[in-house]
Amino acid sequence: MAQSSSAKVRRGAVAPKIGLFGLIRAAFEHHSHTFQDSLKRLAKDPLQTLMTASVIAIALSLPATLFLVVDNARQFENNFESFSQITAYVDNSANQKQIATIKTQLQAIPEVAAVMYISPEQGLQEFTENSGFGSALKYLESNPLPPVFIIEPIADVALEANQVQPLLAKISQIAEVEDTQIDMLWLQRLRSLTQIGQQIVFALGFVLGLGVLVIIGNSIRLTIHGRREEIIVVKLVGGTDAYVRRPFLYSGMLMGLIGAMGAALIIVIGFWWLSGSVAQLSELYNSQFRLHSLGVQGCLALIAVGASLGLSGSWLAVTRHLKDIKPR
Amino acid sequence: MIHFDNLTKRYSGGYEALKGINLNVNAGELAFLTGHSGAGKSTLLKLLMLLERPSSGTLLINGKNINRLANSKIPAYRRQLGVVFQDHQLLMDRSVFDNVALPLQVAGQSRKEIGRRVRAALDGVGLLLKERHSPAMLSGGEQQRVGIARAVVHKPRILLADEPTGNLDPGLSAEIMALFRRFQDVGVTVLIASHDIDLINQMNCRIIRLEQGMVADDGGTHGSVF
Ligand SMILES: Nc1ncnc2c1ncn2[C@@H]1O[C@H](COP(=O)(O)OP(=O)(O)O)[C@@H](O)[C@H]1O
Ligand SMILES: [Mg+2]
Repeated sequence: MAQSSSAKVRRGAVAPKIGLFGLIRAAFEHHSHTFQDSLKRLAKDPLQTLMTASVIAIALSLPATLFLVVDNARQFENNFESFSQITAYVDNSANQKQIATIKTQLQAIPEVAAVMYISPEQGLQEFTENSGFGSALKYLESNPLPPVFIIEPIADVALEANQVQPLLAKISQIAEVEDTQIDMLWLQRLRSLTQIGQQIVFALGFVLGLGVLVIIGNSIRLTIHGRREEIIVVKLVGGTDAYVRRPFLYSGMLMGLIGAMGAALIIVIGFWWLSGSVAQLSELYNSQFRLHSLGVQGCLALIAVGASLGLSGSWLAVTRHLKDIKPR
Repeated sequence: MIHFDNLTKRYSGGYEALKGINLNVNAGELAFLTGHSGAGKSTLLKLLMLLERPSSGTLLINGKNINRLANSKIPAYRRQLGVVFQDHQLLMDRSVFDNVALPLQVAGQSRKEIGRRVRAALDGVGLLLKERHSPAMLSGGEQQRVGIARAVVHKPRILLADEPTGNLDPGLSAEIMALFRRFQDVGVTVLIASHDIDLINQMNCRIIRLEQGMVADDGGTHGSVF
């Protein structure tokens, strides 16, 4: 106590000139200090942080997972594009010359990309090899298989059901063609399913995104309440609204970021766990299809979304609740 | 430096805490604001800190009318002031150093400059050795000195104190007052609200006495350049 009277008061010391560089450095120092402070505060209450982050992680992982599922389904569709081919069965009595004419006629159709002819003999041979009924087929007196054309439509047609029907009509018009068959109804069904899935992704993403905003907003509201005293003092010594807001914005952003990292982790692990069985299943069906997970870009995008939601949520909370604290 | 012209403050309940105040405090002056509890001392200081807005009349600071100062300009205005409170308003979750550093941090000073100035301010109030302590570990008198260090660390031109010795015994109060006197010596305009008449009389300064929201006595201009 007694030393107070002997202490010198250093006033009027010359303040060093602060240039632009100094200002930038001070601003950088302040931001990094605030950021570290926000991190420390989150670390100080790990249970609360963990709980909030988990809720955010779950809320984000749901739409993100569904998005991936839909994306995979679309990939799957594209993988099976060759299935959207048309088989044209030709009259058994057609001779070589007629077959050649049919082929040129088919090739002349603009919607047709490729035509492949399979003779009854080839068909029988393939069937014998693949079906395992080879010995049984030997007892047949004559080859029951008709000549077949495999027609691959151009990509535009293959993807649109309403364009396939006119093409089928054109093919059927050829005199010797007895029957046509397309194998894409299931693909159409899958396609409409993925379309619905996409809409659900948007709706779910919207709702859960709002949920994340509310969660973070609420968490920030509590933090603001807990730091009320500090806010008042900061305002008393001339802190701007931006200065007061900043630590809360950082906290919200960090919370969203951590939650999104959790969501990315959940998804990556979940898909990695699933991918083995999907690959096995896909091999059974002779397919090249492989489950694809988030990837680096997807993870970064998810984290960016989480951070932005965190920032927006805390912005809303701060704007709403700082007004209640006097002084202005 | 500080000029009140027919200033009235009516609180939202309709109560008139200040009625037609006319006052002038010159630069470098040390003046006391006294009066019974409820006389309007705190209200007058709150108007100066822009914690409250006047209902009518004019308030000039350094020749500038602050009645109509935009809300966005308030922070910059407050940085010209140093403020001390009876309950010192220290943050117990951070060190003495960090408390004193606050006015410099909000002003965007560099870390180096903050360190230099905070230590100078703490040295000024004789607490340099306690910079790492929490304010909670300090005595009442020490806490108030930390509050004063925080109020002067950014070299304000005006220092406002509301009952700065309210919780202290007479000996400590005299020390705190001596500190304020030293700030006046280096050119700071100091306005202190206090009802501790004995202490004020010892200081031999200008005493402004408020009574029911009006200036009852603006005597004792001893030692001032009024
Ligand atoms: N925020 C407020 N709302 C309404 N009345 C108030 C408010 N603050 C103070 N007052 C009233 O104004 C009068 C002056 O108060 P104050 O300035 O605190 O006096 P002092 O500091 O001299 O004790 C008191 O009667 C008090 O009740
Ligand atoms: Mg008072």
